[in-house]
Amino acid sequence: MSSSQTENKGYKSYLEEDGGRKGIFKWILSTDHKRIGLLYLYSMMGWFVIGVVLGLLMKLELIAPGQTLMGAQAYNATFTVHGVIMIFLIVIPGLPAVFGNFMLPIQIGAKDVFFPRLNLFSWYIYVLGGILVIISLFGNGAPDTGWTFYAPYSFKTGTNMLPAALGAFVLGFSSILTGLNFIVTIHRMRAPGMTWFKMPLFPWTLYGTGWIQLLATPIVGITLLMVAGERILGIGFFDPAKGGDPLLYQHLFWIYSHPAVYIMILPAMGAISEIIPTFTRKTIFGYKAIVFSTLAIAFVGYFVWGHHMYTSGMSGTALWAFSLLTFIVAIPSAIKVFNWISTMHQGSISTEVPFLWAASFIFVFMIGGLTGLVLGSLATDVHVHDTAFVVAHFHFIVFGGVGFAFFGAMHYWFPKIFGRKYDSSWARTGWITFFIGFVTLYGPMFYLGIKGMPRRYFDYLEEFHGPNIISTFGALVMIAGFLIILVNLVKSARHGERTTEMNPWGGTNLEWQIPTPPPLENFDEIPVIEKATYKFD
Amino acid sequence: MKKILLSIPVVFLFIVAPAQTESDIEIGVVERLNEYIPLDAMLVDENGDTVIIGDLIDKPTILNFVYYRCPGICSPLMDGLADVMDATDLVLGEDYQALTISFDPREATFLAVRKKNNYLNLMEKKEQAEKGWQFFTSDSASIVRLTEAAGFRYKATGNDFIHSATLIILDPKGKITRYMNGIYFLPFEMKMSIVEAAEGKAGPTINRVLQYCYSYDPEGQKYVLNITKVSATLILFFAVVLLTVLLIVRKRKTNKS
Repeated sequence: MSSSQTENKGYKSYLEEDGGRKGIFKWILSTDHKRIGLLYLYSMMGWFVIGVVLGLLMKLELIAPGQTLMGAQAYNATFTVHGVIMIFLIVIPGLPAVFGNFMLPIQIGAKDVFFPRLNLFSWYIYVLGGILVIISLFGNGAPDTGWTFYAPYSFKTGTNMLPAALGAFVLGFSSILTGLNFIVTIHRMRAPGMTWFKMPLFPWTLYGTGWIQLLATPIVGITLLMVAGERILGIGFFDPAKGGDPLLYQHLFWIYSHPAVYIMILPAMGAISEIIPTFTRKTIFGYKAIVFSTLAIAFVGYFVWGHHMYTSGMSGTALWAFSLLTFIVAIPSAIKVFNWISTMHQGSISTEVPFLWAASFIFVFMIGGLTGLVLGSLATDVHVHDTAFVVAHFHFIVFGGVGFAFFGAMHYWFPKIFGRKYDSSWARTGWITFFIGFVTLYGPMFYLGIKGMPRRYFDYLEEFHGPNIISTFGALVMIAGFLIILVNLVKSARHGERTTEMNPWGGTNLEWQIPTPPPLENFDEIPVIEKATYKFD
Repeated sequence: MKKILLSIPVVFLFIVAPAQTESDIEIGVVERLNEYIPLDAMLVDENGDTVIIGDLIDKPTILNFVYYRCPGICSPLMDGLADVMDATDLVLGEDYQALTISFDPREATFLAVRKKNNYLNLMEKKEQAEKGWQFFTSDSASIVRLTEAAGFRYKATGNDFIHSATLIILDPKGKITRYMNGIYFLPFEMKMSIVEAAEGKAGPTINRVLQYCYSYDPEGQKYVLNITKVSATLILFFAVVLLTVLLIVRKRKTNKS
């Protein structure tokens, strides 16, 4: 087991080092990757609370048949804004923007990212994108197209479509620049001796993600510009009356938005790959298999977008090709799951809070992944497409995957980031409440979907009442869990017991070999790497 | 800074630019919820007799416009309708009925009959459909009045038409209470809309995405293809340049110890 030292002299932590600035300027003018990571964390937390409230409003509307809380138009706007916020402002920046920024340079033994100013600029772009999304809520009414902005509806609706689309467009740039920054950082700034295959897995997943961000995000940018051209100038890219092709929109949109799912999930898998070896005291099983499956997911993930469009009217050949590719992309994900489980096998597992999140991540991710195959098969998809089943599936993947990994990573790196301890019994209570609420919320939606309850629908027939009540109840439990977690973490970050323990969990990577909280430039001297990663003595 | 200033009007344009309004559209569906279809419009039924549509509508009614020679979306639409009518527990011909009307005035009764027989053979509820699902043709004036009142807009291209796929739900008095777009329909939504139509209550359209029937000519669409090809080339070009630079150009000593 690694030794944990206490060291509290002779350095100023990044939290104390303010660059001579005061108040908020300590943060919004700092190019320190750690402060930028936290800027993202705080802004995302604000958005997340709004997104959760919108989600809760929808579940409350669905507590009984008929109109209970809002009408159809308000419901349409609610799920659209919920989707735009959760996807573009939270899960896409997600782990890379927060933990990637904070941990990537440390884990590869660098003092900062390669382009620190560009890094801060990306955060400003992120904020600008967020403001545009807020603007879209006022005026002609919030957008009601769903977060996918499908043509022809997106150029016909009378609501504030363009600010929302422009917001997504701007956020895309933030994503591209972050991806670019990480790629260059990983290529150029690894510590001496850190060959590619000595690099920890979290940076590896950020690397795969970076390329997806770089290659796929411009496509959605261009697509949203085309929608703007359609709406403002009436060009007719997607309008069959003018010789355009409405299916083209869906193709272009999903060429980005499917890889975007991997932008979300890969870093989440990276974080899980960090947590599991630490709490099982075992070298990760199949390091190279995880690396290659990361790259395989990033690569094959480009070619599966058509599975969002099985019922939109593509050719039969296209259908089965996309279905086949979808099944192929499931393989590397399964490889990772096997690796994590094998890592745990015969390990000396300590069930600390981060491990609980990681283990429950595997559980919900498996459910999300396996139900994804139901949707990936042509015949079953026709039956359940556009039903609550789909909603349950992608919440298990996106929220279950990214959300659980995010909370896991948060509890894992919290002492390092803030130099304080959180209350671990409250953290456990929060986790179990959240987990039970989560499964109760989304589980019944699989059943509802199979029974034929459509998604994006503010009302339902009496026969669907029971499972909807359970689901809404689950939402309330989950939110209670979320509040426990949030209050515990916020309180602990401000007033928690201070710690300077370098390596509270006994991890093996570089972030555990520098002082807590880290100094401004992370390392006094750039370390020379000799050992492979995840080696426990 | 200049660039930032220049971008402000662009951002502003995005925010204030109006949408194409729904009533402008040339092809597709302009929703006319809570309005009535012209009850005196004339149709020709499967026996070749002229009937008045108002006499037919006495229960919730699913109305759809197709043309029987349609090579595209009309058949999938009617497949979808047949499937959902088989799947629902409502009784066709009693709880509700379906009227399919050709919007091509050149089509004659025999085409309608042939189409109907096709679909009856596919259905489990063949007996109910015999009576409850009727196929019509009509004259050009009645077609224009009906389709315009229903907000169903289409355009002729040569021998065929560009049009969209939608079901229009009417209450027992001929009032439009719901549109169901697409070609696959959930028994849930169909039952819900029939129940609402029976009460004369109009419901919102849930699936807003229209599906069209059109012939797409990729050769004639050079500008769209050029945009996608040019941008794809640019993206890949920059990605390859980046990777090449990262791999080939020697790593500079960035970390001075």
